[in-house]
Formats: sequence, structure tokens, C-alpha cells
Amino acid sequence: MTRHWLSSALWFCAPFAVLLVLWAVLVPYFDVNPRLFPHLDSVAEAGLDGIKDGTLVRHVGASLLRVTVGTVLALVFAIPLGIAMGVSPAVSGFLTPPFRFFSVLAGIAWIPVASLWFGYGFGAITFVIFNAVFFIVTYNTLLGVSTIPLQVRNAAASLGAGRWAMLTEVLLPGALPNIVTGIRTGLGFAWRGLIAAEMIATNVGLGYMLFVARDFYKTEVIVLGMIIIGVLWLLLDRLLLAPIERATSERWGMVQRA
Amino acid sequence: MKNLTIRNLSKTYFDLHAGANVTAVRDLSLEVPAGEFVSIVGPSGCGKTTLLNMIAGFIPLTSGEILVGGRPVKGPGPDRGVVFQSFALFPWRTVLDNVAFGPKMRGVGRAEREKIAHEYLALVKLSEAAGRYPNELSGGMQQRVGVVRALANEPDVLLMDEPFASVDAQTRMTLQEELTRIWEQKRPTVIFITHDVAEAVFLGNRVVALSKGRVLEEIIVDLPRPRVWDDLNEDDRFKVLSGRVLQLVRSA
Amino acid sequence: MTPLLLRAWSHYLRLTTHWPSIGTIVPFIPLIVAWWIVSELQVFPRAFLPGPAEVVRSFGSLVYTGILPEYLQDSIGRLAVGSFWGIALGIPLGILVGLSQRAHRALWPVLLFFQAIGDIAWLPILVIWFGYGLTTMTVVIVYTVIFPVVLNTVLGVRSIPIAMHRAALSLGASRTRMLWEVVLPGALPNIMTGLRNGLGYGWRALIATEIIVGTSGIGFLMFDARRAGSVVEILLGMIILGVLWYIVDSWILAPIERATGQRWGLVTK
Repeated sequence: MTRHWLSSALWFCAPFAVLLVLWAVLVPYFDVNPRLFPHLDSVAEAGLDGIKDGTLVRHVGASLLRVTVGTVLALVFAIPLGIAMGVSPAVSGFLTPPFRFFSVLAGIAWIPVASLWFGYGFGAITFVIFNAVFFIVTYNTLLGVSTIPLQVRNAAASLGAGRWAMLTEVLLPGALPNIVTGIRTGLGFAWRGLIAAEMIATNVGLGYMLFVARDFYKTEVIVLGMIIIGVLWLLLDRLLLAPIERATSERWGMVQRA
Repeated sequence: MKNLTIRNLSKTYFDLHAGANVTAVRDLSLEVPAGEFVSIVGPSGCGKTTLLNMIAGFIPLTSGEILVGGRPVKGPGPDRGVVFQSFALFPWRTVLDNVAFGPKMRGVGRAEREKIAHEYLALVKLSEAAGRYPNELSGGMQQRVGVVRALANEPDVLLMDEPFASVDAQTRMTLQEELTRIWEQKRPTVIFITHDVAEAVFLGNRVVALSKGRVLEEIIVDLPRPRVWDDLNEDDRFKVLSGRVLQLVRSA
Repeated sequence: MTPLLLRAWSHYLRLTTHWPSIGTIVPFIPLIVAWWIVSELQVFPRAFLPGPAEVVRSFGSLVYTGILPEYLQDSIGRLAVGSFWGIALGIPLGILVGLSQRAHRALWPVLLFFQAIGDIAWLPILVIWFGYGLTTMTVVIVYTVIFPVVLNTVLGVRSIPIAMHRAALSLGASRTRMLWEVVLPGALPNIMTGLRNGLGYGWRALIATEIIVGTSGIGFLMFDARRAGSVVEILLGMIILGVLWYIVDSWILAPIERATGQRWGLVTK
């Protein structure tokens, strides 16, 4: 089992090894202007410097903190609300269009309003992330609960399930595949919204780091930042979210939607 | 096992899509002694599923009363177990956990309830499937799980809503024979809804034909037990009874 | 539930079965009413939360002065150009990666990684390379659209049962015919899903780009209004965004996606 995992991990990294080699060789070979595209070693150096003087850690930390806080807050409200709405077919059918509408306005569109209402900084950005996650997760939770067949809920009732048991044993597990899909999509929007928001509404964070470096043509910082953003999301999505999504819906043979 | 008494039961509800009142059950009375197997037949729309849903407590009644062991029915509960046409197993739980669900709700400890679940799974020869998930099983197997899930809770009355309608013909006959075997062992009070006349006669002590929300006629099935398809298919009495019931249903 | 309520609800349900659009629009009415009440009561200061009336008035004046139609045209135009290239490049790439195991091995991780970087993170370096103009915006949109298109195309191509390939071969199809007769139709439902997702992401990327580096368009409208401290236009911009996308997605893209998938009885994932 571990062997298979190891070999597929290696296969996954192989193309990147090739790219890194190409980068290290071609960029100096064609004497590319470092103001246009950095050399591999200058990026590595920028990374090390950033870690040493703590700025990189600060930026990454700020970004991750905002994403975490915004997401957790959103989930705390979204999941109960989604379940409450999804339980009644009439309510869920009625409320679906508005929630789909607001899901469309994911993250980024809220930046101007957010920065006006909360000023620059932590509040505005967390608000953006909250919105990116909240509407989509509520909508998906609602959807998930409404797809639990009535007979399954009846079966639980006739087996003696009380209110609490119904929630924890039937509604939550039943909606879980959809909830996870919602979280995964929402986080995707949140991550993008975060970077965008940090470019214009704050003075710390990965987005900010990228934007400010642009002013000084410090392409090595920009590329470093891009790589970090890519790696972070890749790790989060592929190592955490996708496996959970697969585990729930495939194991249980349930079909996901939206 | 308790007896079931239904007195002057009526159900009228407002159909949202038709925009009018609909009377599904009309002044229906039925007496089911403890341990009896009653098959209820009738054409679509005769009210049999509504009747079952009211006994199960899934929908409220408009007037009349339903008594189980002398106590009126108030909402769904473990005293009335239900087996559904769509199986309604919990896809996120293993077969074992599904069967152990009822005991779990009653607060039975893990070791104890798993023992119970294993016993009942053995009853339908599904012991090896204990760790599998419902979607890995065939329709027939899933319904077996559905039946023992309800039985494991030792309900006073077992309600079965066209349980074998979603299963292929061969499997259906096997399941019917298995059901009679289990019934003879455990003797629960059973209400079995079906539109399949032969099935109704094969399984029940009594067949109740419904039409337009009320009882048309009750027919006693005095065939000896144990009942096996190979024998009954040739049996004259069986054919006569089935013929009578079929006539009733078609005239309804 | 009171009989009157039930009757009213029943009427509503039957109306929506005949005209589904009613079911889409009616739920917004309580929302708008609530908005109006909250703004009238000045729960938040007028400067923070203007009412529907002001937004409508602003809409009227922006249309009248021609600014809104022009910005709308700009935004949609950019999206169209970017999406076109994203799709034109994405589908062939997706087919290639889907069909060739070697290409898949080599490119799949790279595709995932670059998708993970996301469109917005490219803005700083794109601005350095191309400045603040149309090129930057188009590149961002192409970048954003191309990934869902490629990934879903790959999924679609790989989910065609091998039996179909073999059937075509044994009926004498050449490589090119295979492409047109088997691969493309077989992957079409997934491609439509990819298109739909891609356009959705592209739309958002467009707005983000306009907000950060734009000089016209709906996104720019919102950011400019923010600079001027005028919430009305920001809200108007958001509503327009939402409505536009909702209409395009629900009434154009979703039906097409459903039509291809359902028509051919194929399941989309």
C-alpha cells in the first residue's frame, strides 16, 4: 500500500523536477532579464531570506489565519442554516434561487463593499472569505438534506430516532457528500478571493506581498509567492479535501451534485 | 406482539397539486389479533399506503382511532416497525450498523446491540455482509437487511409497504418464502401491503381487499403452513382463493 | 396550516410548474422588501446601506448617460474573447491529455499545480509583462477558463468506455474519424460542464481583474465607486453581476448541459 502511494507521489513530482531543471538551465541560457522573469536561485534565495527575517512567515500566517477564521465562521452558520432550510421541501425549494444568486457573487465581488463597510484589513478580508464560503456551503447543505429520501427519514423515525438522533444519524451524514463538495468549492473561491482582496485592501498577506513586489519589479518575490500559493492550495485540496469528498460519496455510493 | 385495532378511520387531506380536498380513507375499521399476518390488497389509489402511513404514524389521521395493544398511536415509534419498498437503508452505515440502529436508539450498548444485529443477520443468511455498505448489495439482499432491521427492534406490529415490489421476480419468490419462515419463527403481527394478489394469498392468514378508502371484503386464507411456492402453485385451494381476491380487486 | 394558506401555496406551486421562471423570481420579492424596510428604518446609516429605490435610480442614470451599457459591453467583450481562446485551446489540450497516457502522466500534475496558483496570483507578473491593458485581462481570463475546460474534457474523454473505441475501430474508423465520431460526442456532456464552470470562473476572474487593474467595466465601476465612497453603485454593480450570471447560467448554459447529457442518457460527473 505504501509502495503504491510512494510511487504515485514520485510520478506526480516528476514533471515538476523536469520543469525545475528546465528553469535552472534555460532562463540563464537565454539571459532573460531578471526584471521580467527571475532565475531559480534568486527565488530560492528570496524564500530563505523571507523565512530568516520572518516576513514570509508573517504573510503566509496572515493569509492562512484569515482563511481559517472566515471559513470556520462561515461553516458554523452555514451548515445548521442549510440543514434547517433543507428539512422542509417547501422552504428549500423557495429559498434555493436567492441562495444560488448569492453563491454567484463569490468572494471577490464583495471586496469593494467589504472594504467600505469594514475599512482596510482583517475585517474586510475575512468578510470576503466568509461570503465566499457561506452561501455555497448553505446552498449545498440545503441541497444535500433535500435529497435524503423521505422514506429514509421515516425509517429512522420508526426505529425510534428522536430529534437529536435524526440530526446526527440521518441529516448530517446524508448531506455530508454535498456539504464537502460545497466546502471544497467554497474554499476554492475563498482562496482566490483572499489573494485578490489582499492585493487591494490590506498591508500584510500573500496577495499583498505579490502586489507590492510588482512595484519594485522584484519578480523573484512574485514567483516565490505564486509557487507558495500553488503549493498551499494543492496540498489543501488534493491531500485533504478531495480524499474526504471521495471517501464520503464513493464509499457510500451516493451521487453528488452541484 | 400486540394486536391492532382500527376503528372508523378516515383521512382527508388537501392535495397541493390538485388544489382540492381528497379523501383517501373512509370510515375504515379493521381488527387484527396479535400474531396474525394480514395482507392488504387493492388497486392504486385505494388508500392502502395512506392507511399504512397512518398506522406507522408518519401522517396524522383525520378522524377515528388506531390502537396498538389498546394504546392509541401517536407519531412514529419503535413499537411499529416499517419495511419500505425502496429499502430506505442508511447508505452511510454498514449493514451491521443499519440493523443495530433500532437498539442503538433505545440506548443498548455497542457489544450488546451488535450481538443482536448479528443474530438477525444470521436469520436471513447475511452474516458475511455485516461489514459491507448497502450500495454494495443487490436489491434482494438490501431488502433482507431492511426486514431484519425492523425486526431487530422487536416491534409490536410490523408494517410492510409493498416491500418486494422493487425486486426481480425470482428473488421475490425467495424473499416471500423466507418471510413466511421468519414469521413462523417469530410470529409478529404483520400488516403487509401489496398489489400482487398471489403474494397476498401466499403470505397472509387473511386478505383484506380495499377499495376507494374502505374495506371491500375480508377473505380467510386457510392454507396450511409452511407454505412453499412449488407446492402452492399446484394447489387448487390456492388458485380458488387467489381467483376470488383477484376478482375483488378488479371489480374495485 | 390554515386552509387559506394551503390554497394559496397550492396555487403558487401549480403556477411554477407551468412557468418555472415565476418560481425563480418570486423568492426574491421578500428579500427586496426586507432590504427596503431595513434601509428605510436606517438600521445602518444611509451611506452604508442605501435602499432599492436609490439603486434603481442610479441604474437609470447610468443607463441614460451610456456609462452602464458601455461598461457592460467592455466586460462581456473581454469575457467573450478570453473564453473563446480558453475554450479553443482547452478542448484540444484536454483531448490530447485524455487520450494519451504519456501526455497525462507528464502534464496532469503540472495542470493541477498551475490551476492551484489561480488566476489572480498571475496579475502582478502579467502587469509587469504587459502593463495594464487588454492583454493582461485577456490572459487572465484565458488562464482561468482553460483549466476547468481542460480538466473536464480529460474527464469526459477518459470516461468513454473502451468498448466504444473498439466498436468504432472494428467498424473501420480512422484516427481522425474516431475523434469526430466517438471522442468528441462521448466527451461532450463533460465538456459542457467544463465550459459552464470555466465561464463561471472566468466571469469572476474578469471582475477581480477589473477591480484590481481595470480602467472600465463592471468591476471597475464597483472599485471606482468604492474610491468615491459611493455604495449605491457598488451594490448596483453586484446586483447586475449576479443577475447577469444567473440568467446566463440558468437559462442558457444549464439547459445546454442538461440537453446534451440527458438527450444521450449520459451521466455527467
